[in-house]
Amino acid sequence: MRTNFTSAQLADPAIAEANDILQSCVHYGFCTNTCPTYVLTRDENDSPRGRIDLIRGMLERGGSPDAREVHHLDRCLSCLSCMTTCAVKVDYVHLIDLARSHIETAYRRPWADRMMRAMLAAVLPRPRLFLAALHLAALVRGLSGLLPARLRPLFAMMPDLHPDILVPQLFRAEGARRGRVALLAGCAQQALDGRINAATIRVLQRHGYDVVVADGAGCCGSLTLHMGRQAAAAAAARRNVGAWMREVRGAGLDAVIVNASGCGTTVKDYGHLLADDDDARTIAALARDVTEFLAGIGLRPAAAPALTVAYHDPCSMQHGQRVTRPPRDLLRSAGFKVVDVPEKHFCCGSAGTYNLLQPAMAEALGRRKAAHIDSTAAQVIATGNIGCMVQIGRYAGRPVVHTAELLDWATGGPCPAALVGIEPAPARTDATLHVPDADTGIW
Amino acid sequence: MTQTDAFLAEIADALGADAVNRSDETIARYGENTMPGGDRPPAAVLYPGSAAEVQAIVRAANRHRIALYPIGTGNNIGLGSRSANLAGFVVVDLGRRMNRILDIDDRLGFAVVEPGVSYQMLHDELARRGDRLMVDVTSGPPQGGIIGNALDKGAGYTPYFDHFGSTCGMEVVLGTGEVLRTGDGALDGQDAANWHVSKYSFGPILDGLFAQSNYGIVTRVGIWLMPRPPAIRSFHFTYPDDADLGEIVELCRPLKLSNYVPTLFRVGNDVYLCGSESVSPTYPHAFTDDARRAMRDRHGLGSWTVSGAFYGASDAALEPQIERMRVHFGRSGKARYIPHDEAAAIPALEVAINAFSGHPSVGELGLLKWRPGGGNTWFLPGTPMDGRIANEVQDVCRQIYVQHGIDYMVMNVCGARFARGLHVLAFNRDDPDERRRADACYRQMAEAVARLGIFVGRAPLDYHDLHMGQAMPAFAQACGAIKQALDPNGVIAPGRYGIA
Repeated sequence: MRTNFTSAQLADPAIAEANDILQSCVHYGFCTNTCPTYVLTRDENDSPRGRIDLIRGMLERGGSPDAREVHHLDRCLSCLSCMTTCAVKVDYVHLIDLARSHIETAYRRPWADRMMRAMLAAVLPRPRLFLAALHLAALVRGLSGLLPARLRPLFAMMPDLHPDILVPQLFRAEGARRGRVALLAGCAQQALDGRINAATIRVLQRHGYDVVVADGAGCCGSLTLHMGRQAAAAAAARRNVGAWMREVRGAGLDAVIVNASGCGTTVKDYGHLLADDDDARTIAALARDVTEFLAGIGLRPAAAPALTVAYHDPCSMQHGQRVTRPPRDLLRSAGFKVVDVPEKHFCCGSAGTYNLLQPAMAEALGRRKAAHIDSTAAQVIATGNIGCMVQIGRYAGRPVVHTAELLDWATGGPCPAALVGIEPAPARTDATLHVPDADTGIW
Repeated sequence: MTQTDAFLAEIADALGADAVNRSDETIARYGENTMPGGDRPPAAVLYPGSAAEVQAIVRAANRHRIALYPIGTGNNIGLGSRSANLAGFVVVDLGRRMNRILDIDDRLGFAVVEPGVSYQMLHDELARRGDRLMVDVTSGPPQGGIIGNALDKGAGYTPYFDHFGSTCGMEVVLGTGEVLRTGDGALDGQDAANWHVSKYSFGPILDGLFAQSNYGIVTRVGIWLMPRPPAIRSFHFTYPDDADLGEIVELCRPLKLSNYVPTLFRVGNDVYLCGSESVSPTYPHAFTDDARRAMRDRHGLGSWTVSGAFYGASDAALEPQIERMRVHFGRSGKARYIPHDEAAAIPALEVAINAFSGHPSVGELGLLKWRPGGGNTWFLPGTPMDGRIANEVQDVCRQIYVQHGIDYMVMNVCGARFARGLHVLAFNRDDPDERRRADACYRQMAEAVARLGIFVGRAPLDYHDLHMGQAMPAFAQACGAIKQALDPNGVIAPGRYGIA
């Protein structure tokens, strides 16, 4: 794509980076058919290609974006499905982040939007504050009809809470010690469902790893980054890099384990967010999704609960990190029957704060995803991101658990509460494994 | 009010305002393509939701003398994307709303789809139903349309590779606005039991009229599906020299004549296979032989690599057949064997495994970034499965590529008697000189292979007239006469595939 920035504009490193990315787009349009918002609206401006054009115009013109540009860019999920499909590998993730940052600084949103965004940016990254807000919300839930429409989605989607906010500490390996890892305990996830960290820690301990929750580590910065608050995101990243580098330089770390894939994508990209920081690159290189790490060290299943599991690929996992095989391989090796969800390249509509800021689009995507999941024979849904768990849990008629909870269970941990009482599928034999129905084909 | 305005107003009245799009962004995007000849913005884009709405559009187009251009999912990259063959046509985007899988018969092994159904959609639906059947896919975009590809005579790699040949029974809105059901679907007033299971029914086989033509708008097709084998094991042999293509072709032919190997063979050259993983390191200059050798070394591949696969009950059951391939391709001692599991970790060969397995994948799309600027078009001649002829065509085309400073990038898809040669011309579309050279390269190859008695199997929109000009006059006249009979006012894609 041709661009027309002035040399003065290109002196700004952000514009220079955007310019390089914009010029790499050649408008093939493969991205359009895999973009959830385009598929729903068929509006070119709701497609990655259209948004790239909008960003070009917005940045070339400079000054305040117009409301139409903001409307379409806000509707981007940052699911990055377009990046998987793009033939020329346009670096869309960094372009949309640059655009969001520009909007955040150059555009004055209506006051209700400003309040909503400020509140989310202040509360979500702080688990204790978020938990307090959730409790408060539970108290006034019955009165949510009296709240401004902008806030109602917050109350509508509130799941059952299982908070467990971890303090900095070391969880020692069981048996022979194989290594030492840090766990990103996360922010919102701890307030919503502490069972995920507990399961992750148990399964790592069981496989011989010390697990440290590092002093000073907190929110990865993802939530604020995708709201255009680059400085807040960078500050969060710096805190984490500092906290984990102290561990690296102290007792050492084999990996930084992340069990919320949205956070994993951001941590793996710390080298870009903190471009002049060598430590950030070190941490980014150490970051592993929990399934990626477990697949690397090998799982030791103790029990094989033969449930049929629909594995939902979080976008941040399949498109952001390109981690698709490890969770499936691990679940299969643990004895589960794993089925894919039709249209698995599509976002469920969670997308960080998206389902709070764009509730209508998020609901359409959530219902679409749930219908696809419900069409499978799965007894349980597994995924690797708390946002997806909450979103899918609202619409799907099956229990939703984190992959780490199933792996913990399969290796000797407790059965996830949501699965108690669910009977395993009939045991498979070699015959049923290898030979499809005789009336389909003979081999 | 122009004729176009009046036509669009009538369509908006009949189908609703949402069915008509004239926004600047839409016009610009639907006119884009990747070919040397430039963009062709349409006058508008329409979104019908049913065959009846397509009929309404075609009838209105006849009244207002409007040229329509139907598209499915619009992924015909390299051959026209979703742009019309001329600017100013009204694009009929069937994919937006007519994207339903109407039926899947698990026992008889067929699906009935609308034009917007993509390989990915049908694949996902089959997986959801238990993964007992597989759809043959291309190695191109997963969002490519099943009907569009079949009608353009596209192909895949499994035993059901012939996409047009795997269709059975169509519903077509003719240029007159009449609806035609082909094959057994022609039985009047009945639900035809054999519509999607029998190709040879009473009367002439009309289905072929709607492939690579402009006689009607196909709104529904039956597509045959193969039972998914429990085990799929691929094998790959890589050869060091350009001239080894002849040996490979000679070795593949008997395996396909007897159908000992159920898949087609992918015989890709170095730049085609490695190019999807990299960009040209010598650009803006043409790729040199030294650079080519260095790239081959990096990827562990030779000048030509052949891939095929067996289907069976288990991996172990297929092992003897794989061993037989090792003996067969190992005869001359030139080939290096690459086993299935090693190939699965090589992106260029993983594409082949996915294609043999009926899994849509995006790996091969990386080819399109070999040069910047997004230009690419495809020259699609074929040769008999004769090693001498294959090498002769290779020599001719290689020289023409070099002459025009374009990098030779070819995948030969080999069957029993015929191999289609997918020649990719990757060029910088932002560079007028490269566009000119790509165009000249295409035209010169078309003329050169025609002198060897070789025609093309598919063609980019830019070259439909060129190729119709290569056909005998009686062929062009017959095509024109059929056009006159089925679309007398010439409202459906006039000029497409050179048929006026």
